[in-house]
Amino acid sequence: MKMIASITAAFLGLVVFTTGNELTGRWESKPSVKGNVTGVVFKSDSSFEGYVNKKPFTSGRYLFENGLFSFTDNGCEGKRGIYRVIFFHNGDSLRLEPVSDSCVQRKEGMSKLILGRVK
Amino acid sequence: MIAAGMRKYFLLSLAAMAIAFLQTAFRDKRTPVDKAELGKLLFFDPILSRDSTISCASCHKPAYAFADTSAVSLGVDGRKGRRNTPSAMNLSLPHFFFWDGRAGSLEEQGLAPIENKDEMNLPVEEALVRLKNNMVYVQYFRQAFNSGPDRATLSGALAAFERTLETSDSPFDNWKFSDRPDAISDAAKRGFTIFNQKGKCIQCHFGADFTTNEFRNIGLFDGRALNDSGRAVISGKQEDAGKFKVPALRNVAITAPYMHNGQLKTLREVIDFYNEPDKVVPHSINRDSVLSKPLGLTQQEKGDLEAFLLSLTDKRFQ
Repeated sequence: MKMIASITAAFLGLVVFTTGNELTGRWESKPSVKGNVTGVVFKSDSSFEGYVNKKPFTSGRYLFENGLFSFTDNGCEGKRGIYRVIFFHNGDSLRLEPVSDSCVQRKEGMSKLILGRVK
Repeated sequence: MIAAGMRKYFLLSLAAMAIAFLQTAFRDKRTPVDKAELGKLLFFDPILSRDSTISCASCHKPAYAFADTSAVSLGVDGRKGRRNTPSAMNLSLPHFFFWDGRAGSLEEQGLAPIENKDEMNLPVEEALVRLKNNMVYVQYFRQAFNSGPDRATLSGALAAFERTLETSDSPFDNWKFSDRPDAISDAAKRGFTIFNQKGKCIQCHFGADFTTNEFRNIGLFDGRALNDSGRAVISGKQEDAGKFKVPALRNVAITAPYMHNGQLKTLREVIDFYNEPDKVVPHSINRDSVLSKPLGLTQQEKGDLEAFLLSLTDKRFQ
């Protein structure tokens, strides 16, 4: 019994390690009026890459716990932003609700974002 | 003898007309002109300059990321422009155009050089008459816009072409997206860290095209030899004196010379300037506080920063 529990725990650990969290993967906005597409790749090593029109524009480290996305990136002089992640439709899309972010421009941009999971 | 000459002339004319007709008919069936294609034709056609010698591409040279290689470009009659020609690539995202940001859209920007006396020196109304008298262009405008040449369609075509000039396939892009650690050198990776931290470059050059699209005074304004007041002329604000739009950095390695007046010839000169601006312009007025102190970059750090900037060159130019 103990062995089964250990194997199960190891398997679950492997799943978590290889698939990351609910955010892990590529997310993209619909094209804006001007046709611009914003996206982000959340990697399982806690790093992320943001891009616009296939051009990388920001990168950083993040933590996702209890529905809160906390991060620093290479803009905003290293200020930390914390956002509540609100998932829609079984997690196939999301928006970010600011909890704490003293970087005004970033807060303005992120609050407008709606991202869909790219499969 | 005269009759034979006339017949030859008549036959040649007939042949030329037939060729023109076939070219047009062929183009109609095989390659309909859309807005961007029409814009490309116009961009490379000197028809938009007073003496028909200068096109947009005369100063926005494709081989140099649609920038020029001289400090300021030469317009009709060899007239010198006032500012360095910026790259016409990667213009989909900005909200302001020209060094002083006087145009709020690509459409607005596109017509200004046609009328500028130091550039193409042709009133737009005259340019439109020329286009309306050119049956090929009239047809292409109809195909692309279902309308003839006018200010809106001319600027719309030029802007549509410029919006196709996006680049996103540099070694840096590959490094970020391909998970290939060897896409750029170790020096370029160190340079990216310096760009983000010690060099403070990121404070103005943040974004997909490495610009915040703000106006900044980097210290190339002293009210004497350097007296282009830049953004202040547009905004009417004294505090904007010496401010210019922060340029994008994609393909920067092939767009020398640099700065609004083209005074710095190489990337190394640019890095040296930012490292110690006072050495280049000792009495600048109202320089941005980001540059209030020397950066203190070592020779290796300067080299690394340059390696990073080189990694922003799109593969089409390599």
